[in-house]
Amino acid sequence: MLLNRRQFATATMSVGAATALGALPFAGAIGQGKKATIAFFVKNVTNPFWKACRIGAEKAGKEFNVTLEVVAPTKPDNIEEQTRLVEDWIVKKPDAFVFVPVDYKALVPSIQKANKAGIPIVNYNNIMTDIEKVTFIGSDDEYLEYEICKSLFKSMNGKGKVVHIDGVPAAITAQNRKKGFERAVKDFPGIEVLASQPGQYRRLPAQQVFENLMQRFPEIDAVVSANDDMAVGIVEALHAAGRGGKTKVIGIDGIPDAIQAIAEGKMFATVDFSGHDQAYLAVQAAVRHLKGEKIPPLVMLPVFIIDKGNVGTVARTPEERKVPSWEQATRKA
Amino acid sequence: MTVGTGTARVTLSQREFLGLSPDRLFVVVSRVTALVALCVALAVFTPYFLTWSNIINVLRHAAPLFLMSAGLTLVVLTGGIDLSVGAVLGLAACIAASLITSGFPVFGVVAALAVGLSCGLVNGLLVAYARIPSFIATYGMLWIANGLAYVFMKGEVIYGLPAPFRVIGTGFAGPIPVPVLIMIGTIIVLHVVLHRTRLGRGIYAIGGNPVAARLSGMPVQRRLVFVYAMSGLMASFAALVVIARTNAADVSLGEEQLLPAIAAVCLGGTSLFGGVGGVAGTAVGSLILALVLNGMNLLGVKTFWQAGVLGVIILLSVMADQLVGRRINRGTT
Repeated sequence: MLLNRRQFATATMSVGAATALGALPFAGAIGQGKKATIAFFVKNVTNPFWKACRIGAEKAGKEFNVTLEVVAPTKPDNIEEQTRLVEDWIVKKPDAFVFVPVDYKALVPSIQKANKAGIPIVNYNNIMTDIEKVTFIGSDDEYLEYEICKSLFKSMNGKGKVVHIDGVPAAITAQNRKKGFERAVKDFPGIEVLASQPGQYRRLPAQQVFENLMQRFPEIDAVVSANDDMAVGIVEALHAAGRGGKTKVIGIDGIPDAIQAIAEGKMFATVDFSGHDQAYLAVQAAVRHLKGEKIPPLVMLPVFIIDKGNVGTVARTPEERKVPSWEQATRKA
Repeated sequence: MTVGTGTARVTLSQREFLGLSPDRLFVVVSRVTALVALCVALAVFTPYFLTWSNIINVLRHAAPLFLMSAGLTLVVLTGGIDLSVGAVLGLAACIAASLITSGFPVFGVVAALAVGLSCGLVNGLLVAYARIPSFIATYGMLWIANGLAYVFMKGEVIYGLPAPFRVIGTGFAGPIPVPVLIMIGTIIVLHVVLHRTRLGRGIYAIGGNPVAARLSGMPVQRRLVFVYAMSGLMASFAALVVIARTNAADVSLGEEQLLPAIAAVCLGGTSLFGGVGGVAGTAVGSLILALVLNGMNLLGVKTFWQAGVLGVIILLSVMADQLVGRRINRGTT
């Protein structure tokens, strides 16, 4: 936004006056009836995971009466565009950023600029280092994958042939999930890994890659997929080939159609990455920080595996989901 | 090439084979050489390649990419480019999936095709009448189609399409998958249109020499509108096959399809400068891309190596074509 000369003068004077009077101590803004603005960042508007985040954040925004501005790149997960968005929002100077980087390293310099501008940062979902942050709220990819693989391998009595479908090879989430998978495989010597191939985190590529692998491996006991979108594609491929029900498929994220597939007995399990909870708690952390409360520096959410046993109790959509309790989440940390 | 002028027409009718003039025949033969070489190599290196089920598998993988590239081929033949095919595919997929899951299957299919056709028509009008370079006109359409899909879907994924609709993506007619039949039908129809009609010859003439085409009294602008409209229509048709296969639609569906589609056209021997090539070549190009992925999966090429291997094989196959092409040329003349 460009200001004309008169607007600029007015703005300068009002800022000057406000500063002179000391009427707006920054951290106290929220307590004094002025509605705070929080810039809430997501990686894209295409993946349902980020939609769940947005809904969680909006619930917190409503509950704590803050203005929530959702900031998303038009080109999904685009580093250059998010960098520009951060710079734009530093200029707009909201009361806080609730931030997830599209790349945990590339965005460090931009967030350092926000640090310099004095905007408090609550980091969620993907942890960033080398920045000043109020807290990090999220989950650990490696740990999630490790836990769900363990539960899968236990159900197989520790033996069987497994195919691993990787995400986008360059993505840090995919690398960490793969580490978790490999750690679980080490714990179970009876598990044989037939193949590990990339499915790009997307349904169609994963489906095609898995159809190719089915040509080579007539017997596959289980498939470990790095996310649910691919897992559902793999379930489709198995059923289309008449091999449904014999192969246990697991994913990560807890997206609605994976939960549906688990309820129908087509898919074995998924683990809830719970963007809804992360975003809800992250916005709440920002609000609490603005009120002057002390926030624990790291809040890790507990692992929640969804399988046949509990699928009936799980909310299908983020709208229906209950919000987590702040006290419980921070006590666990 | 001087196809379309009186003398060339005479030579064609004397020497053509399967509707192909000798020099274009070389291009096709040499493409097939690369395809055959790839098949032989895979058959030698992996016993899982040369099985009926795997051959069917590869053909089925090539089908959606071919359908998308087929319309694009017409545009490239006129010396233009359509960058919006991926985005139009995504938009059409979302509209079709949304209407079909709401209980309007016929309307959904018709609406998706109409949207694809309209996007293509707008592209064509912009290129032919507003004289906007095709790269820019279709790049604009890419974002418009993406934007419409974003607004329409709001980050949602639609899944669970009815079984009768899914036949076009997953069904079989005897041993042959339905998408493969659609692919074969499309090749025949477009091949006849390109080589046996005045319209088709006109498309080559525009690409070969647009000025000569106009001076000879050809309705160049109407032909251009036709090829872009076909490109949009084919992209939306491909969208129907893709969602029938994956059983789900989201906005980013077509995103990763654009470059492979252009690559399939070029690998098939259609010149980006226009005037040379055809849909049969594009089918070969789509098959080469499907084969490379199939081969890497069957051989178990490590995740991080796959992108590099893909690039090398594409370059090698084009170089092989050129070598063989030159030999044949030298042999006959």
